[in-house]
Amino acid sequence: MIEARQIQKQFKIPVVKKGRFSGIRTLFSREYIIKEAVKEISFTIKEGDFVGYIGPNGAGKSTTIKMLTGILHPTQGEVKIMGLNPHKERRKVVRHLGVVFGQRTQLWWDLPVIDSYDILTVMYKLDKKETEKRLSQLTELLGLHEFIHTPVRKLSLGQRMRADIAASLLHDPEILFFDEPTIGLDVIAKKKIRGLLKTLNKEMKKTVLLTTHDMDDIEQLCEKVIVINDGQIVYNDSIPQLRNDIGLPTIMKVSFVGDFQTPTIHHNMIQIIERTNSTITIQYNRHQMKAMDVLNMMQNWGEIEDIHMDEPQLEEMIQEIYQTPEASKESLVVS
Amino acid sequence: MEMRMYFMLIRASIKSRLQYKFNFIFSMLMAMLLNVSEFLMIAFVLLKFNSIQGWSIYEVGYLYSVILLSKTLYRTFASDVHHLEKYLVSGDLDSFFIRPIPILLTLMSQNFFLLIGELLQGTFIILICIQHFHSIGQVDLWIIPITILIILAGSIILFSIGLATSTLGFWLTRVEMLQNLTEDAAMNAVRYPLSLYPNWLKGIFLTILPLGFINYLPALYILKQDVGIWIIGATIMVACLCLWLSLRFWKIGLSRYQSTGS
Repeated sequence: MIEARQIQKQFKIPVVKKGRFSGIRTLFSREYIIKEAVKEISFTIKEGDFVGYIGPNGAGKSTTIKMLTGILHPTQGEVKIMGLNPHKERRKVVRHLGVVFGQRTQLWWDLPVIDSYDILTVMYKLDKKETEKRLSQLTELLGLHEFIHTPVRKLSLGQRMRADIAASLLHDPEILFFDEPTIGLDVIAKKKIRGLLKTLNKEMKKTVLLTTHDMDDIEQLCEKVIVINDGQIVYNDSIPQLRNDIGLPTIMKVSFVGDFQTPTIHHNMIQIIERTNSTITIQYNRHQMKAMDVLNMMQNWGEIEDIHMDEPQLEEMIQEIYQTPEASKESLVVS
Repeated sequence: MEMRMYFMLIRASIKSRLQYKFNFIFSMLMAMLLNVSEFLMIAFVLLKFNSIQGWSIYEVGYLYSVILLSKTLYRTFASDVHHLEKYLVSGDLDSFFIRPIPILLTLMSQNFFLLIGELLQGTFIILICIQHFHSIGQVDLWIIPITILIILAGSIILFSIGLATSTLGFWLTRVEMLQNLTEDAAMNAVRYPLSLYPNWLKGIFLTILPLGFINYLPALYILKQDVGIWIIGATIMVACLCLWLSLRFWKIGLSRYQSTGS
């Protein structure tokens, strides 16, 4: 359904000159810094999949999505969406795509929501009757009736997102790209959007690619996850597999009364993350050790005053584990 | 079909603007005022000299209004081609890519703005000039369809130059200064007969910025009969060539689009 074959994207950034006439000299200079936003990635997404696409800021997520949708041309490699190349046949490909950018609405900002849908109906040359039917379905699903006659600029973020999602579904696309659809939403709105995405995938059989920073989105929605870091795929497998790989990392912050001593012999199941005069932060894996054992051990270091336990964000963990791309070369192999 | 889509988007654009009625009307009035004052200045200069190098005030008025009406058509129907830079800097061009219609069409339909001041003023002046030529027997009524034709061809030439300049933005991002040169300065210059200018400048207006084909050369045939009717054909050919070249260039530019980080 979606195929990315060894795609690369390099941005040429002109070196900005300093000093006199810097503007003009920059204009005519041939010096560039080449920034490799995406280094060489390949993956396949099958029909009906719900794939999470995650990675830190600047890892190349948006660049990838933009290459998949035909906005950016890959420097190397090829994208196929339902067998079509989105750069050569953009107008055909986008009929199969529903795209939502969380940061940017695609509705007509100053017009009532319903006007945008009317325009899209003409734009995609949709059958009037069928579209009406779909819209009433979507209205029910998304609760659009509350604000369908309100100008987009007056909507709350949650409403706007629902309106945007409906717009992306109007032409009944097979594939959905959601770029951070829950960004900035409150807990309730997030929950609503998540429920909706689930319905789209499970009941309406849409193939979904979701980028997000919200690990709850990933845990609750995605079957598969692709992790990108520094322009390369560092993980591409199912969520349970990811959990297995990472284990159950736990962070424990302990403060001592006064001074404390850490043993000189390094314990290979405990990692010290941070140490101050009276506190220490360690990380261990609950697969390997029980919390009580850790505490028992630490009692020998000094008199414990307080403890605080934390499960680190999945994203942080992923980042940490895959910081060296070499370590996971085998996960580059596409299923 | 594309036309229907275009006008639908124009309608949406107008409706959006009408959300802010005061701003809509006020900015239209201001633009009109600005234009009139600009014209008064030219008229003042012309009245003082009465003629420039064998071109009467009416003839210069004709040159002026042909270029003005061409520009009005171009800027009315393709307003934001001139403002592509804004979309490149903000990355707003992204959303145009995911619609099944040409990106250029979407861009053209944004922020539709009827240049009512220019339209009225241009029509008014050109009618006065034509009426004058007709009354002294300089031209026959054929001048009307031919004038309409060169205005249309002219708007295509201006559109092409505007599009090509904006397209450079895919490489340079900021093109405002360049636009001042290729669009504004050039349009101001060809308000007067090209014979006023040194050869190199004339050369520019007949080649890379072929604005001479919009008013000066056709006027040599229409008003002076210095050249044959073929010059009208040449204008149309130049318009087609410019359009073709600029559209090709636009395509290349689009493939270079870098979007913005988010």
